[in-house]
Amino acid sequence: MKIKHSLFTRRQFLNGLLGGWFGALAASLLYPVLKFVFPPAREPDQVILPFSDFKDMELNTIKSFAWGSKPGLLKKNDDGSYTAFVAVCTHLDCNVTYLPEQRKFFCACHDGWYDENGTNIGGPPPRPLRQLYISIEGEELVITREGVE
Amino acid sequence: MSSKGNHQKLHSWLEERSGLSEIFRFLREKKIPQHRHSLWYYTGSAILLFFAIQVITGFLLVFYYNPTLEGANASVARIMTEVPLGWIIRSVHSWSASFMIAFVFIHLLSIWITKAYRKPRELTWMSGVFLLFASLAFGFTGYLLPWDDLSLSATKVGTDIPRSIPLIGVWVTKLLRGGEDVTGDTLTRFFGFHVSILPIFLLAFLAVHVYLIQKQGMSIPVAAERKDEKMKELPFWPNFVYREMVVWLILTGILFSVAIFLPPSLDKAADLMAPAPEGIRPEWDFLFLFQMLKIFPAKILFVNGDTLAVLLIFLGVVAFFFLPLIDNKPAEKKGKIITVIAYLFIVYAVAMTIWSLL
Repeated sequence: MKIKHSLFTRRQFLNGLLGGWFGALAASLLYPVLKFVFPPAREPDQVILPFSDFKDMELNTIKSFAWGSKPGLLKKNDDGSYTAFVAVCTHLDCNVTYLPEQRKFFCACHDGWYDENGTNIGGPPPRPLRQLYISIEGEELVITREGVE
Repeated sequence: MSSKGNHQKLHSWLEERSGLSEIFRFLREKKIPQHRHSLWYYTGSAILLFFAIQVITGFLLVFYYNPTLEGANASVARIMTEVPLGWIIRSVHSWSASFMIAFVFIHLLSIWITKAYRKPRELTWMSGVFLLFASLAFGFTGYLLPWDDLSLSATKVGTDIPRSIPLIGVWVTKLLRGGEDVTGDTLTRFFGFHVSILPIFLLAFLAVHVYLIQKQGMSIPVAAERKDEKMKELPFWPNFVYREMVVWLILTGILFSVAIFLPPSLDKAADLMAPAPEGIRPEWDFLFLFQMLKIFPAKILFVNGDTLAVLLIFLGVVAFFFLPLIDNKPAEKKGKIITVIAYLFIVYAVAMTIWSLL
């Protein structure tokens, strides 16, 4: 039945109303499910390590540390300074390693290469390795994510 | 009362309540066409055979397997070394998975080439494509469960690939991994996929697939159809089923022989912080995709190479899913070109696989 000047019939109106309710009900049930399946991010803002563990590293060597659930690599450069990398390939997330003789980072999964500064120089990696900020505060080595004060 | 009388009574009791005789009558009257390409009819039930073996050996492995970061590798080691005949159960599970995937590929290629998907069997093909992906997902999730170096790296790569999909990619990766990175949560989640979500998904599509095949009967190849003469037929029961049983017996023999002489290895437990080992590779059925990702350059005309590779794979999958609708004139030139593409795909996949092994 359709009232004069109405855009839709009573049946269409009721079906739309009922369908809308079901849609809203489904969405309200889906929301907690989606919230549940994505756990909160685990990447730390900063990691504090005892500097004594890294003080005696030789030049052009690396030492690993845990950056949350990712591996991190602390590299001692030729001038005695340190650089910290997230040791994860920018191609498809495999863990990379440092080859001191060749002065390169290497990812074995798909033959990805980075130079000693973490710049991608060969194979599929699209971006340089991620770097982290380092500051030495007394006896502590503080490693911080980009963009964190 | 005689036992025959009892049997009769039980039979009519069941029949009155279930109406099962209808199904038995259908199976007695079902006919299998006989022609040059009849051999391919056996591939479907071969897949079912390996799937049944997967279910049984899977039930057994679950009794000892421990899906946690600390316990996974050790529990598989225990299955391999301490549990009586555990090594054989795991070996059969591992090999039967490969055999099943291999027969899935043979099955679908035979359907592609004989064009068994043509009208009115489009939905049978599409439900089959879902079954293919469920099977591959079973393989992919199962590969991680022993939690050794190789399986960890393969999973890192595999779950990172969706990240290149625009908009939803990051969320797909997070959903698969249970977080930003592959961790113990990923292992537990993959176990959940492997033993509860995928089995339900696969069984549902299997039911649709088998129902449609029964409803429509066996497809006849285009060439045989055109001859127009009365085709020879074989009764499904018992003639065809007995022949299938012979095939099952042979395949089971081959499976167990391979499983006994070549049990799968188990490396030391994966270390989330260790660099990827050299020579990592996924299971054989993903090798051609693996090689494609490996040779794609980082940038192609300002576009990220991976994004392009993933986009190509995605387009291929969509075309593959809708193949029966695309191939709508099977007897004409277009249909012949699509058959040639099937052969080209085989050559491409085999060549890429061999290349990745070099």
